[in-house]
This record gives sequence, structure tokens and C-alpha cells, in this order.
Amino acid sequence: MACLKTLRFPFSQVNKQILRRYVQPSTPALCLVNFEQLKRQNSNLSQLLAPSQLRKFTTSVQKPADQKFDPYHLLEDDLKDVYADIRKELVDNTSLEELKTIATYYFGGQGKALRPMVAILMARAINCHLGKDGLLQSQRQVAMISEMIHSASLIHDDVIDQSDFRRGKPSVNVLWSQKKVAMAGDFIIAVASMMIARLRNDDVTVVLSQVITDLVQGEFMQLGAKEAENERFSHYLTKTYRKTASLIANSAKAVAMLSGANDELSEVAYQYGRHMGLAFQLVDDLLDFISSTDALGKPAAADLKLGLATAPVLFACEKFPELNPMIMRRFSEPGDVEKAFELVHKSQGLEETKALAKSHCDEADRLARSLTESIYQKSLISINDMVLNRMK
Amino acid sequence: MSLVNKSMQLGLLQLRNLAAAATTTSPSSSTSSQVLLCNNKKLYSVVSADNKRAADLMMDQQSKHQVSYGKTIASQRHDWNRAVNEAEKVVGYPTSFLSLRWLLNDETANVALHLRKLAGTNHPLLKAAKNLIYNGHNNMQAWGLIVLLMSKAAGQYNVTNEQDIDRSVGVLHSQRTLAEITEMIRTSHLVHKGLVNMRKSDFPDPAEHEDMTFGNKIALLTGDYLLGHTSVALAGLKNQELVELISTAVKDLSEAEFVARRDSQNNILPSIPSADRTNYAINEWTLQNVLSGASLLGKSCKGALKLAGHNEEMQEHGFVFGKHLALAWQAAIDLSPFITRDSSTPFNLCSAPVLFHIEHDPSLLVEIDKGLESIENVDHPKIYETVFNGPGIELTKQMQRDHSQRAMDLLSVFDESEAKTALTNIIYAMGGL
Repeated sequence: MACLKTLRFPFSQVNKQILRRYVQPSTPALCLVNFEQLKRQNSNLSQLLAPSQLRKFTTSVQKPADQKFDPYHLLEDDLKDVYADIRKELVDNTSLEELKTIATYYFGGQGKALRPMVAILMARAINCHLGKDGLLQSQRQVAMISEMIHSASLIHDDVIDQSDFRRGKPSVNVLWSQKKVAMAGDFIIAVASMMIARLRNDDVTVVLSQVITDLVQGEFMQLGAKEAENERFSHYLTKTYRKTASLIANSAKAVAMLSGANDELSEVAYQYGRHMGLAFQLVDDLLDFISSTDALGKPAAADLKLGLATAPVLFACEKFPELNPMIMRRFSEPGDVEKAFELVHKSQGLEETKALAKSHCDEADRLARSLTESIYQKSLISINDMVLNRMK
Repeated sequence: MSLVNKSMQLGLLQLRNLAAAATTTSPSSSTSSQVLLCNNKKLYSVVSADNKRAADLMMDQQSKHQVSYGKTIASQRHDWNRAVNEAEKVVGYPTSFLSLRWLLNDETANVALHLRKLAGTNHPLLKAAKNLIYNGHNNMQAWGLIVLLMSKAAGQYNVTNEQDIDRSVGVLHSQRTLAEITEMIRTSHLVHKGLVNMRKSDFPDPAEHEDMTFGNKIALLTGDYLLGHTSVALAGLKNQELVELISTAVKDLSEAEFVARRDSQNNILPSIPSADRTNYAINEWTLQNVLSGASLLGKSCKGALKLAGHNEEMQEHGFVFGKHLALAWQAAIDLSPFITRDSSTPFNLCSAPVLFHIEHDPSLLVEIDKGLESIENVDHPKIYETVFNGPGIELTKQMQRDHSQRAMDLLSVFDESEAKTALTNIIYAMGGL
């Protein structure tokens, strides 16, 4: 539970129930019982939900996202120049041509700009909540900064992962040497830090600075997962928070603080981003098992190939304990990846992952509804549908 | 234990592990990592054993130097060590960050486990780590020391936060944090420079390829970790002008890796001079060395004065002082292989004596350009002989003198104090004046 405390999970009852069972089984035997119990319950999620929550849940899930609440459409004007403005910041900060080229490479506009979108949406929703109109220049800067930090981390990932393609083009490591790519990543971080400092807000700087550390610590956690079986899930959730949710959550908090939100309201923004970020990553981990099967007719299972045990596997190994040794050896033996993939599909792992993602979306949903109603606030709610419905 | 210390520890713990791995070819390095994981008590003994080994190694190196480098170098080294040791007393600073007690958390333990795998590989990060640990005293550590001496020499003016004042030492807590940040940034940059440029085809043996990839991963993450904690520590100082200033120094370091020409491992090669070679050497050398170091020291000195509430003019003095001191220092480093009269001593192809020689006679580039793929293809002894018999050494000495003198002149704005004396001694100990 220590981990949960440090992350300040203010979970609704639903989440608490789910997590208590998954994260903290008191004994292995009891753990099995709980999982069986939970699976039964999850197969009909309504049993877990209070009636009022159920109503919200069904309305938000069953009704397709209204066109006018499509956040990308709504924020078209705010978002259209984000990449160009980032490129300008980077280019203006160096006279060295090769560095300009590498640093701006991933800001060509092919990305889906999820992070700037959430930041701007939250900014506008909070502004409305506080009776203000529009978007502050400083809030837009935070949106840019969040995308820069994200891209710098992608660039550093590419140095190591040797992936050939990213955002629809050859990845940086194909075109330039590792050292230069690493330095270009450092350059982007440095320019982002300069932009943060220029906001001249001590508290916002503290909030955004934490993100870089979280990202690296998440990577370190991913390097060595040798923790005891009963700590695996909390380890996975902490890692997911640090690698994905922290950036979204802290950017949301930063824009709220810039709007003049008090601690309580900033916390709403932060928690919204955290839940939404966790759900986003859970679905991502789920899609690694699903979309590839449909699209390619063969398992891609990129995470398994990297030796990573994500939520679907962790859920599955409750039913199939033979997954445990495979997790420990990071799916390194021949046939491990295929076998694990098969077992995940035989288990309820995917459904349970989706249920967990759904519960985080629910929580984000609830937080968004606590804000004054506006088109931006409604879009915050509809993003949750988008996150879940990414499932093909 | 401050946050910065803790993060330094994690980052440097990894380096220490690597260094231990690099110094021993036997499996004892991996056992030391294992012991590290057991408990803190045992950890102390391991660390102190490491320290002793490091000290022995340094003694060993020094005695070697004394034999081969001749008397001048030996006595200069002696002056240097004495100046640094006395300066450390002035600011009440630990002899070394690296001998601090390491606190372990689970994450560290995991990383340490992984690091054991690196022992026995050829990844140059091992060598980089070894250099950092064993030569740390002369290079990395001294930077933080300069920042603290500058802080103390300038005194405190307009400090509103009473809690920040450490009266016993005469240095603000925030200035001390800044000194640590300066060293973290430098270490982070050095570690990222320790990456290996490689393609799969370079390593036909998949096991070796995996080793090198893993080494790169550790280098990248360790550098990022230090960088991340730099930004958290900076944010904690709650001074946005300072955050901006130091961020520009990080930016300058990253830019440094893109100037001049590079071989396939990004080792630096001199640029081709234009037809009019006037000031070619000074301009090239200054650009490279301001970006790769002088900017950081200058901006950290400036930042220290900013924290103490000094006015803009005074802050600018701090910047110029730090910059010239770093450049004088670099010139001394560039000179040292050419003073030893030993042509087998490794030297940088972009060091000042070589660049001055190219300005004098660009035909030297014919040999240097053989290194465009790898600097190892350059006949270093040949370059050494040519430079040694040319004007490069004298011109470098002149340049070092100029920078030392500028740094010394700037000190005159401060009142007499033991910190000022310590800075003066350090400048003298570099030689040249």
C-alpha cells in the first residue's frame, strides 16, 4: 500500500475495491480466491458500481461522443500552430544546422498531440470554471512544453530501442549517430526548461520539473522487474504512472495553477490527468495484444518481445501460474512470447485490463463533472470515451 | 540528506559500480555489487574498500607521473593539490561527493544488479566512470568548489530568506545546492558523451552487440537521471532567473557536441580554416571550450552571486571570472601532454597547440584528415612532433596567461578574504602566471 500512498490515489469505492484485490492480496491463497471473485464481478461490471455511478457510466459509454465535443475539432485553432511554434523555439535557440534538424525532426506535425490537447482543454475548462474566458499564453506554453518533454523522451527511447520507424518516418537513430541523438534530446529538455523558467512561476516550475525525473525513474523500473509476485501489480502501476500519466497529470495541474486555481482545484486537474493517463496506457498495453492480431493476422506483442509484463499478462498469470517463470526471465526463451500471448487470450486478462482502464476513465469522468459545465468540460468527459474506444 | 545528495548518490553509485567493475577483471566486482545489495552496514565497508583502492590507484598514478613527467609537472601537481585541499577547508566542503554514504532504495538495487552485467564488456562507459571516480578530484569536483569559493569571496548582500544562511561557513545553502547541481550537469554530460555510436553490423557477435546496447542504455538513463534531478533541485531553489540561466548552460553543453568536424564516434576534428586564417585557432578553440564547459562554470558563478542578491554588474563579474578560469584551466590541460615531452601521451586533435599550429601551417590537416572516419587512423606521434617543434605551445601558453590574468583581475573587485586567497592560489597552481 506504500506505493499507493505515495501516489496519492483518491480512489472511488470502485477503484478501491478493484485495486485492493489486485494489488494487495494478503496471502497467495486468498489472492486466488479474490481474483476468481473479482473476475465474476468484472464480467458484470454493474455489480461493482453504485447506481448513481452506473447511470453516469452508461450514459457516457453508450452514447457516442458528440461531434461538437470532439476535442481536436474544438481546439483546432489552439492546436494548429503548436508544432510550428515548438520548431521555432528550438531553431531560435541554436545556430548549428545539424542540431536544428535532429531536434525538430519529430515536430513535423505527424504526432497526435494528445498531451498538448489535454493541457489546453483542461486550461480552458478550468478558466471557464473560474469565470474567465479564453486561454492564457502561459497555458499554451505548458502545452508546448509537455509535447517537448514527451518527444525528448521518444528520441532517447529511439537511441536504445533501435526501432526503425516512428511517427510515420525513419526514426532518428536510423539517420544520426547515438551520441548526437542523445545530445539533441538533452537540447530539447534544456530549451523546455528555459521555457518553464520564463513562466516565472515558482510552483509551476516545481510541478513540471518532477516530470522528467518521473520519466527516467519509470524507465529504470522497466529495466529490472524482479519484485515479489504480490508487488508486481503495484510496481506496474507506479511505472505506468511515471512513464505516462505523470506528464499528462502534472501538465494539467500546471495549467490550472496558472489560471489561479486553489490547491483543491489544481488537485482535481492533476487527478483527472493521472486517471486519464493511466487509462490511456492500460488501453495501449491492451492493444498490443489485440490490434496486431486483427490487423496483421499474427501476434505482434511488442511488449512481450521487449520482455515487459503489462497488465494483461499480470492478470492472466493468476489463472495460469506457469506465466510466472516466463515473467521472471522476461520472456527470453524460445516460444515464451507465443505461449504468453496465447495464455493471455485464454484468460480474462484483456477484459480485466479493460475493466481497470474503464474504472480509471470513470474516475476521470467524475472529476471532470465536478467542474462548471462548458464545452471544454464536456470534451474532457468525451476524451475518456475516445481513450476507451480506441479498441478496434 | 538533501534531495540532490540522494540523486547524486544514485547516479554516481552506478558509476562507482562501473568503476569497480572496470578496475577488476576478476568476478570480485560483481560480488561487491552483491554486497551492496545486502545492507547498508556492509555497504560502508565495501565503499571504503573501494575508496582505498581508488586512493591506491591515484597514488600509483601519481608516482608514475613523477617518474615520467619530470619535476615540473610533479611540483605543479603538488601545488594544485595543495591549493585545492586548502580551498576545500575554506568552504567546509567534503573532500569528495563520492565518498558520501550511499543510501539504497529498491530501484538502485535493481539497477546495480543490471550493472553487474556490464562488468567484463568493452563498453567505454566503464572507462568513463573510472576516470570520473579516480580523476574526479582534479576535474569534476573542483568545479563545485570554485562556485562555493566565488560565493564566499563575494559575500552575501540582499538575502531575504534567513533560513538560507549558513553562518558557520559563509555560504548559502542554496549556493551549495547550486554547486552540486553544477557537478551533476557536468557528470550527466560526460556520461552521455560516453555512449557508443554503433550499428548492428559493427558487432557480428550478438552477445557483444547486446552488451554494448545495454551499456548505451545505462549511460543514457544515468545521464537523464542526473539531468532530471538537476531540474528538480533547480526548481527547489525557487528562482526562475536562475533556472533559466542554468538551463541555457545545459543547452550550451548539448550544442558543444555539434561544433567542428567529427569522426564516426563523434570525436572532434579541427574545422577547415577559411583562406584568411587570422584568429582561426582562438575562435575555434574558444567556441568549443566555452560551449563544452566555460559557459557552465561562468553561469554557475553568476548564479551563485544572483542567489546572494548581488546586482547585475557583480553577477556579470562572476560570469566572466568563471569563464576565464575554465578557459585557463582547459589551456593548461591542453598544454600538459606537450610539456611532458612524451609523444605517446594521448592528446586532443582540437587542443589549442594543434589548432595554433594549423593556423600557422594548414598542411598539418593532411595528416589529421586521415582521421575523418576514426581519429585512431591519425599518426599522433607525427602530429605531436610537428606541433612540438612549431609555435603552438608558446601561443597556447600566451593564451593561458591571458585567461589567468583576466580571471585574476576580476578577483580584485572582491575584498580580501581567505576564499579570495584560495581562488588566487588555484589560478597560480594552474601555472602560466
